[in-house]
Amino acid sequence: MSIKDKVPVTILTGFLGSGKTTLLNRILSEEHGKRIAVIENEYGEVGIDQGLVINADEEVFEMSNGCICCTVRGDLIRVLGNLMKRRDKFDYVLVETTGLADPGPVAQTFFMDEEISSEFTLDGIVTLVDAAHIDQQLGRSDESSEQVAFADVLVLNKTDLVSDDALDTLESRLRDMNRMTRIIRAENAKVPIETVLNLSAFDLDQILKRRPTFLEPEYPFEWTGVYNLDAGKYELMLEEGPDPEMSLVALFNQGESEEELKDGAESSVRLYAEKANTLEPGNTIPYGDHINLKLDGKGNKSFILNIEKPTKIGLFTQHTAEEFNMKVIKSDENKEVPFNTERFWQAEHEHDDEVGSIAIERFGDVDPEKLNTWMGRLLSEKGVDIFRTKGFISYSGNPRRIVFQGVHMLFTAQPDKEWGNEPRRNQLVFIGRNLNEKEMQEGFDKCLI
Amino acid sequence: MPDIEPFSPRGMFHEGWTAEVNDYAIACGWALKGKQFIVGDVAGGIFAFEGDTGKIIWEKENTHSGGLLAMAIHPEGEIFATSGQDGNVQICNCHEGKVIKTLDLGKGWVEHLKWSNDGLFLAIASSKKVYVFNEIGEEKWISEVHPSTVSAITWSNKNELATACYGRVTFFDIVNNKTNQKLEWQGSLVSMELSPDGDIVACGSQDNSVHFWRRSTGMDAEMTGYPGKPSHLSFDDSGKLLATSGSERITVWSFIGNGPEGTMPGELCHHTEPISSLAFSNKGMLVASGSRDGSVVASFLKKDGNGDPVGAAFAGDLVGAISWRPDDCALAAVNAKGVVNVWKFKVRTNLFSKGFK
Repeated sequence: MSIKDKVPVTILTGFLGSGKTTLLNRILSEEHGKRIAVIENEYGEVGIDQGLVINADEEVFEMSNGCICCTVRGDLIRVLGNLMKRRDKFDYVLVETTGLADPGPVAQTFFMDEEISSEFTLDGIVTLVDAAHIDQQLGRSDESSEQVAFADVLVLNKTDLVSDDALDTLESRLRDMNRMTRIIRAENAKVPIETVLNLSAFDLDQILKRRPTFLEPEYPFEWTGVYNLDAGKYELMLEEGPDPEMSLVALFNQGESEEELKDGAESSVRLYAEKANTLEPGNTIPYGDHINLKLDGKGNKSFILNIEKPTKIGLFTQHTAEEFNMKVIKSDENKEVPFNTERFWQAEHEHDDEVGSIAIERFGDVDPEKLNTWMGRLLSEKGVDIFRTKGFISYSGNPRRIVFQGVHMLFTAQPDKEWGNEPRRNQLVFIGRNLNEKEMQEGFDKCLI
Repeated sequence: MPDIEPFSPRGMFHEGWTAEVNDYAIACGWALKGKQFIVGDVAGGIFAFEGDTGKIIWEKENTHSGGLLAMAIHPEGEIFATSGQDGNVQICNCHEGKVIKTLDLGKGWVEHLKWSNDGLFLAIASSKKVYVFNEIGEEKWISEVHPSTVSAITWSNKNELATACYGRVTFFDIVNNKTNQKLEWQGSLVSMELSPDGDIVACGSQDNSVHFWRRSTGMDAEMTGYPGKPSHLSFDDSGKLLATSGSERITVWSFIGNGPEGTMPGELCHHTEPISSLAFSNKGMLVASGSRDGSVVASFLKKDGNGDPVGAAFAGDLVGAISWRPDDCALAAVNAKGVVNVWKFKVRTNLFSKGFK
């Protein structure tokens, strides 16, 4: 049976009071042309209005080997086993879990049980988060951070009860824990249906389309502008911004192609690692140095850029130019020189939570045997702490991409579309607890040919 | 869809009759000593056919709202019971299909029904509880609440009922209302069969193994290495062979001598897709298997569990259930498309080898 014939399943998780039932009712009452079978836990918050609803106790069955990765939901196997025989009655399944449920066994059921995996395919995991309470919940329980870690879509609900600033902070905390998730803000669980159903969320392409930088490494700077400057004196003018200071590296001869920008970024990363020299307004900016512009005090602040012969200057700034309304002005003409090219980077920040994401992106082919050995060992040693894995791999000699997806120790690898003219590369994302990024990247690098 | 080509009955299978029911057929059985064949479909339709010709005798629809889950025909063959998602059990008369008694057990699905061998009791499993009623629908016993949903029930003797759930098999004396034995094993038990003398307990487990206990000695053993969960188990009438399957292969354990511990099981590989039903004949060492690919094969087994196919037929689609006629001279298979096939089962005398000339 091909994946197209399998019935898609969405898992809906979230703490008590996060709005799962409201969302469920919204999905069921909307005109979307789907016939949805809902499997609801027996102790649902409030009743479901309509539709084919089946109640099930959450029965979490561990195996005799004691491995949590093999743990499944017995009730789902029974109920889905029966639904399988009524394919004419529905074309979509929604599984609602209780607030305290660990999403692992629910997701694992779709990998572990052959009968279930031959008929159903996990489309995505949607987690509802109560914007007003999730901060405390994350500190108190493993379940809530696991629900965030497993999510393909995080619905940040009840945003009307929280300030915009608090929402931004919360969003970046959640994003830190799970880089591949899509965060949707909502009041009263009001989200467009297409953002929660039929996601093909295990398809990494979808995520990359939405957020092309999510697999990129993090940089200590957020923005680069390349300016084409003639010889002369220039001023770098900044207004008040979010911080009383900002780090910057200025480079000569900065090219504008993606490759040249990445080269410049690599040089800047090394410079950023050195201690910054603080500059007061009116000081001259040196090239190839890590500097820290002092920006406290009101009004415009100017720093000097001296250009001896025409060149392209690359400014790698800690924050975006927009945040400080940063401008380059030719002093004698008092005229702004706009940048030729700009590039945004994935900014690095503190990771407070144990749960986080690791991305590996490499060009080239991997040796399937080496990769299998490495993945096998990684998942057997760290499977408990790795919640989700997804990505694609280029196997040497195989004309197709190999798509990976996994939950804890379980993973499947399936041939996908042909590479064609596309450069062959590998992208893997791991979400888990206390993962060692460097070690995992080195492990992967050894599988490359 | 099955990947295999349709084929005519061969070997000991011969053309019999076919019929259709309205939906995915999930249960079937012979009544009135083989004179009648009853089929239940997933939507709750029940159909009775003449055992020899396939002529419809009676039919009824929507017997259980939400759908049918189980059906059991009384050993005498005059009455049968059905159960469904509506939490009800109906005891019906085979001749006309009339409901004699409806039992309302509440909200939970009623997934398992078993008549005791002497026909005095009907055991019913619904969620975490098991009930015993008599033939006329009077309640005789209710179990304690099990730790999880009861996944299988079977009678070990006329008063003793075995139940399986997550982590354990329990034996209840339902007349004296006491627990005779608890066999524990940390695993999700998905199927259970007892040897005819009630001594050997075999359970298929979600972790792709079969667990045995011998009640008389308390010894237990675990048979691992199944590619899928062994949902299908069947003992032969002597209790010497246990056929098990969780994939397209059938593994047969022999309890002759010191086995099956430390012995190699017999293997039967006749299907291209996983087994969806498995049943020994009422007498003798014939095992019939139906597969998701629509094929049905009967194999004649030797004492070591190995054997050869003696007949095969094509049921058209995933085999929902199979049933040997009480005299073993016919085999019925019902499929996911609602098609009923009954083949005669006999030696094809006109094809006997005449030897080399």
